[in-house]
Amino acid sequence: MLEQTAQTSAATEVLPDCAATSTNANPPLEGSALVEADLLVEDVSIDGMCGVY
Amino acid sequence: MSVVDAPRPVGKLVDRFQEGLDAPICLTWELTYACNLACVHCLSSSGRRDPNELSTQECKAVIDELERMQVFYVNIGGGEPTVRKDFWELVDYATAHKVGVKFSTNGSRIDCEVARRIAASDYVDVQISLDGATAQVNDHVRGPGSYDTAIAAMGHLRDAGFSGFKLSVVCTRQNIAQLDDFKAIADCYGAQLRLTRLRPSGRGADVWDELHPLPEQQKQLYDWLMAHGEDVLTGDSFFHLAAFGESLPGLNLCGAGRVVCLIDPIGDVYACPFAIHESFHAGNVRSPGGFRTVWRDSELFRELRSPQTGGACNSCQHFDSCRGGCMAAKFFTGLPLDGPDPECVLGHGELLLAARGDQVPPKSSPDHSKNQPRRKLERRPSLITLPVIQSRPDRACDESPLAGFAKEQQD
Amino acid sequence: MPLATTARPSAGTKADFDLDRAWQLHPQVALRPESFGALAYHFGTRRLSFLKSPALRDLVESLADHGTARAACEAAGVGDEQISTYIQALATLATSEMIIEREAS
Repeated sequence: MLEQTAQTSAATEVLPDCAATSTNANPPLEGSALVEADLLVEDVSIDGMCGVY
Repeated sequence: MSVVDAPRPVGKLVDRFQEGLDAPICLTWELTYACNLACVHCLSSSGRRDPNELSTQECKAVIDELERMQVFYVNIGGGEPTVRKDFWELVDYATAHKVGVKFSTNGSRIDCEVARRIAASDYVDVQISLDGATAQVNDHVRGPGSYDTAIAAMGHLRDAGFSGFKLSVVCTRQNIAQLDDFKAIADCYGAQLRLTRLRPSGRGADVWDELHPLPEQQKQLYDWLMAHGEDVLTGDSFFHLAAFGESLPGLNLCGAGRVVCLIDPIGDVYACPFAIHESFHAGNVRSPGGFRTVWRDSELFRELRSPQTGGACNSCQHFDSCRGGCMAAKFFTGLPLDGPDPECVLGHGELLLAARGDQVPPKSSPDHSKNQPRRKLERRPSLITLPVIQSRPDRACDESPLAGFAKEQQD
Repeated sequence: MPLATTARPSAGTKADFDLDRAWQLHPQVALRPESFGALAYHFGTRRLSFLKSPALRDLVESLADHGTARAACEAAGVGDEQISTYIQALATLATSEMIIEREAS
């Protein structure tokens, strides 16, 4: 029983949860507007752009 | 790890970057096509010097432009950039003109003195290439003795007190099992590990079928990278894996022609180092107006900076995270640019590749490979089945980072 | 931290930033104006920051000219309703060492 449960959770780990992803694709407008307004600074590693080897 | 991604804050910013900036943030500059090695997967098909290489003066003129444009730093590569006689003259000129330098090298010219020189400068960084945590795996791809050369260079850098230099690995079917070992080597030498994507570019096209990671290895790689976060760099190579879940650190978008590009040894400007082909050629720095004009006005870059459609990928719910993957990977496997990446984690790319049949995909050009028979990669199935080595080296810095491992786990 | 996590707003707390000290751009930082604000690259940490507002950019550039960050904000015309946004921005820049405290002249 336990083994089966473990296998099930392993399987769902492999693929992203569809419901959660589609929620993310359409975040509440108010939320994302807040995020953008609040944060005037973001940072990333200089190594974080693709196209440089 | 939450299933719901953090909100993409870069809704506005990502669009800005996709529209391109007035100047690159950083760029790759291949100084020479000459190289003392002949790696089977070389993305620039290097080996022989091109007779039409930019002169020292021409290189300095490019650096002057980069300074005016406020490009933050250049990744100097090749071929093997250190074989140019004016290599240090150019590095010093760049840093004196406010352009930072990270140079990519196989380590063959990093001796004690050179290591000290690099360690002494705040504005010079170095990246050592290594594609196997053992000589067996590495030399198979990079040639006999190349592992030892890289390790020796790292030893000199460590001895010179230079920590944080980069150990850069191209992930292949044969070395995915060695990720922990690469981390151990990097830690041992005080380096920062960098894992990057194998692309079917340059000579990479010839070995891509055999060397590119298998689907289950991609997942393994993604999980490993997520576990290590910003400790391990990726050059944003793996944004196509974002469909697995959360995005990896980085901008997660194709920067080619938008925030980065390539300048090649003869002054040709390409969208990126993985796309050395007429289709991605933007211009030449020797033309009137130099690099700045190419960056700002080239037709190719204008096109890349215009809104991109996902094409066949538009209906996929993951398109927003994976962005349809890497255009170079698609181009050199003969796939359409407005469709899935050949390594699309949902397998859409694989299906399309199978459907493509016998059509020969485009080849990178120019090709400066040495005029010698290309080393053929024999199939080495035994390497794929090696277990992931979890143990750590015995001491912090043995001469061989794998000294503590059981004999059968080493070569 | 990845761009995404940097974007998560901290749960309702005021960022920890001392407006009444003297600040300046870190000497190893190159600041490049952009239409959206600025790019700032720190040669020591190798981090790239995006300043998403021209006003923030101007404020940051002016920090060295004022005895306190508060004075710089006032001189830049930052109103009461905006101050917490700017404090958060300055705090982020301080955490990543893009700006550092300096000896008050």
